[in-house]
Amino acid sequence: MLELAQSAFPQPMAGVTLAHYLVLSGAMFTLGLVGFITRRNLIIMFLCTELMFQAAGLALIAFSRYHLNLDGQTFVIFVLTVAAAEAAMALALVVLLFRRRESLSSEEWADLKG
Amino acid sequence: MLRVNEILSPILLYAACLIGAIGVALALPRRKPGIALIGGLVAIAGVGLGALALFLWAADAELLPSVFFYVFGLLALGSGLRMITHPRPVYSALYFILTIIASSGLYVILSAEFMAFALIIIYAGAIIITYLFVIMLATQAPTEDDEELLSTYDTEARDPLWSAAVGFVILAALTAVMFRGSDALPPVQASAGSHELLAQMPRKIERELRRSGAIRADEQVLTVDGVAQVDWDSRLVSLEGGNLAALPESFVTSNVEELGFNLLADHPMTIEIAGVILLMAMLGATVLARRQVDIEEAAKALQARRLSLREGASDA
Repeated sequence: MLELAQSAFPQPMAGVTLAHYLVLSGAMFTLGLVGFITRRNLIIMFLCTELMFQAAGLALIAFSRYHLNLDGQTFVIFVLTVAAAEAAMALALVVLLFRRRESLSSEEWADLKG
Repeated sequence: MLRVNEILSPILLYAACLIGAIGVALALPRRKPGIALIGGLVAIAGVGLGALALFLWAADAELLPSVFFYVFGLLALGSGLRMITHPRPVYSALYFILTIIASSGLYVILSAEFMAFALIIIYAGAIIITYLFVIMLATQAPTEDDEELLSTYDTEARDPLWSAAVGFVILAALTAVMFRGSDALPPVQASAGSHELLAQMPRKIERELRRSGAIRADEQVLTVDGVAQVDWDSRLVSLEGGNLAALPESFVTSNVEELGFNLLADHPMTIEIAGVILLMAMLGATVLARRQVDIEEAAKALQARRLSLREGASDA
């Protein structure tokens, strides 16, 4: 297992603990969650999932720094990949849905709940 | 003995969650736009209170607070809030770019430089641009700056009060757990693992030694199976011909090198799997968004006849 080694790097970390980053990440995730629930525009809903991905990535990087272990950063590459794939698929679906009903409102599709 | 801040900081954090919830609920788009502004201010006050709680908690640990964490953190939260509350989708996407830039600043503070740059390139450069294209394809943008022209599904949020309440109860629960026994981040330091990694890069060592003038241009670092021979206790490198050269103390691996080795040596399949995921997404998106064009049989026959006529002409 390789470990972080940057003794030349200045130490602006002092005073900021892991909990600070986790609280920030949690707040970002909550904003994304609230946005996903409340907004009715399909595109904005998917943009809010991207905000949740961001929060998860921040937590992963903070844990990676805390444990001085690079696996977290490697996993963030996966988060980016999944985010890109999700954006491509979701936006293709949004374009398809928009062509059907000429509207981006998620409530246009409320009849899907059966 | 309990110190004051150990009690005060969690209470402040819960208060910040509550105020943030009220602010977000008010700031979400609704019919009367005046309330949204007040809501935004309340939400900012909540975020500020949360920052104060974190600040007090850090001051209690007798550590110097980091300015950059608070700057980037507040920027990320503020633009995130504006992103989920802005009635115009294009502005939402642009505010999300600001969030990404702030997060990449945080990544740099966490000494993850490579991921910081990758984040800006992939997210701000590729993903958000795709979003902007789709927004422009799928919305009729009003030319005048008039809220009346926006669609109702953009200007009215669905159940803002309840969702904000639920979201911020989750956040309060999360922060309560996070504040149990978390230590300061350990200092970044050279370790045995990084020595192994450095020894595997004899060309880098040679370049550094040449640059610092420790060896002449015709001298080379001695390698056995591609690994440089270094005595890490005295930091002496063996050279071809039996001489020794001293490595500077500040010579360490960079984040990009370590991440590259971690990715390709410890997780060799990562790139392949990521590539397959992206390929599948690309195929799926192409198939999904393809427009089905119905061509009548007569038009098809006409086109076929034209093509065969053209081929006949080129053959002759």
